[in-house]
Amino acid sequence: MRNRRLPGFALALPAWAWLAVFFIAPVGVVFWYSFGYKPGLFGTHANDRLSFDRYLEVLTPTFFDTFVATMWIALAGTALCLVIGGPVAYWMAVKAPPSWRGLLLALVLVPFWTNFLVRTIGWQVILAPEGWASQAAQAIGLPAFDILYTRAAVLLGVVYNYLPLMILPLYVAFDRVGEPLREASRDLGANRLRTFWRVTLPLARPGIIVGVLLVYIPLMGDYITATVLGGAKGNMVGQMVAAQFQTAQNWALGSAMAVTLIIVIVLSASVVGALLWLVSWPLRRAHRVMLTEASR
Amino acid sequence: MNANNDVRILASRASAPLVRRELSRRGFLAVAAGAGTTMLLAACTTPGGSPAPAATGGTLENALSIYTWGDYDAPEVLEAFTSEKGPRITLDSYGSNEEMIAKLVAAKGTSGYDIIVPTGVFIPQLIENGLLYKLNRDLIPNIQHVDDAYLGRVWDPNNDYSICKAWGTTGFVYDKTVITRELKTWDDFFDAAKNEASGRTSVLDDPVEITGIYYWANGIDWDTTDPAEIDAAEKFLLEELAPHIAAFDSYPGGAAIPQATHALMQSWNGDARLGIMNSPEPERWQWVLGSPATELWMDNWAISASAPHPEAAHAFLNFVLDPEYAVAQIDYIGYHTGAKGIEQMAEEAGLGMLDMVFFTPEQLATMQDGEINEAQERNVEIWNKLKAAAGA
Repeated sequence: MRNRRLPGFALALPAWAWLAVFFIAPVGVVFWYSFGYKPGLFGTHANDRLSFDRYLEVLTPTFFDTFVATMWIALAGTALCLVIGGPVAYWMAVKAPPSWRGLLLALVLVPFWTNFLVRTIGWQVILAPEGWASQAAQAIGLPAFDILYTRAAVLLGVVYNYLPLMILPLYVAFDRVGEPLREASRDLGANRLRTFWRVTLPLARPGIIVGVLLVYIPLMGDYITATVLGGAKGNMVGQMVAAQFQTAQNWALGSAMAVTLIIVIVLSASVVGALLWLVSWPLRRAHRVMLTEASR
Repeated sequence: MNANNDVRILASRASAPLVRRELSRRGFLAVAAGAGTTMLLAACTTPGGSPAPAATGGTLENALSIYTWGDYDAPEVLEAFTSEKGPRITLDSYGSNEEMIAKLVAAKGTSGYDIIVPTGVFIPQLIENGLLYKLNRDLIPNIQHVDDAYLGRVWDPNNDYSICKAWGTTGFVYDKTVITRELKTWDDFFDAAKNEASGRTSVLDDPVEITGIYYWANGIDWDTTDPAEIDAAEKFLLEELAPHIAAFDSYPGGAAIPQATHALMQSWNGDARLGIMNSPEPERWQWVLGSPATELWMDNWAISASAPHPEAAHAFLNFVLDPEYAVAQIDYIGYHTGAKGIEQMAEEAGLGMLDMVFFTPEQLATMQDGEINEAQERNVEIWNKLKAAAGA
């Protein structure tokens, strides 16, 4: 029997093939295009002359300004999702009665039943200066709110659209720590706060990192949420890339922008990862001391 | 970018068609060469795809696929075609000409679309790349119902490939409760944007429409490729207009006018009209046709070179040009279809706000055809800079 079993990696082949054809190859094509140029008015790209010139064209003040604005929205959005989603996930995994958990998870997933563009435009209707929410506020004596087409509206939309992506991995992470470890921690004399900082949080760290990446990376490329709710204040670098492919029909420059974006996302994600590692270093050091003491 | 291009143009306007033909042929070969080297497109066929079988007025195929702008035909007209002529219609939509062209080029004749609706300025590009079917005009006698004024435009002088589907122009809409004075020209638009409507102004999300405002206001040729004029447009728009822009919105009639989100909005006439008609307070809004000059854009019926159902496609073009359906179309999309006598028909049908659909000969004389030219890249650059500046 044993001999007739397929080698372990065979199970992963479909996934690898899928990734190779639909992810690696297109990214490779984009890399290739980025070294070409736009051949005349009606051409989109040509690669018979290769150069890094497109990358020099990418690095303009406009790209830089737009990039900084994008990064600001992505970082602020990720931080807000973490601050709001963290306690929710913790409550769901640790505090809520176990019989509720299935229902709570379903509720987190409900927004995914509707297309995200429709949901975002829904917010546009709600936030409009003369929309029903503003009128309701005025009816009870509050001032009319005028937050549509501001950074605040962008962040609201971002948190709304991305929160489930933060809550789900955090929930799994907190859930996996498990009651027995927390109980053991309390039995060894740690209070609840200490248990949280010393046991739950360090063990949930992979989930936190996954959640942060799941929100931050797509957010860097998303420009729909930001433009629908932020108008001119929601200008994102993804929009510039799309404009080169679509309106300017300059696929070479668009590809160079996309590659630059990929590189910066990888770099910034690494920096965030390194920061998280540094922050948690004292925690781990404390652990090591504890374990040494315990082994004596 | 320009510095690295082999292709730079300094030629008289008369020689432009020839130069453009050469340019795009080279461009297309280069595209095909680039595509041939990529692994996904390795199995590349003849550029432009296999030619469709000729339409000779034979039996109609049982299907027809239309690739057009979203929500651009009255459903009852499409239904009438299927029930009277037979072919079932599959409808697919795009949001920009570039998107449609990119799809046709990438599909290399396998897109499966029969009818496409490109804007006039893109038709030379489509013809050069062999993406359009040369119409068999014998099968489209109803072209006689199209007003001569909307036939034989510069991009297809003999209507060999295209027939007017709808045309429109650009102006702006303002909220009379915010801007109480009367606005009449693009200069007034700039002035109101800087004052009453600062931070509550939107412009069309399209590079040539935005630079267009400056050119139209200052009597400069909209198709200019003069670097000095383009630089002046950039400087003015960045310094004078950008700080006051709240949004780049091509369809304010969809939400911004009914919801009163902005006070001053550059808009196309048909979209503005639908927006005002859908507003709970239509009397609050004032439409102004861009002045002293503005544009005339025209979307055109055309058949894809690789159309799988050419007979049905010709039958559809002939069907839809029948004056019987002109009113239904104009009522649905809010744009002039180019049909003869349509103004009278629309009045008899009791359609509202017709001054936003039909224009006087004097107004028509101020509307310019655009073109896609070497300035496009700079226009996109200006557009991106404006967005960055307005978002700061």
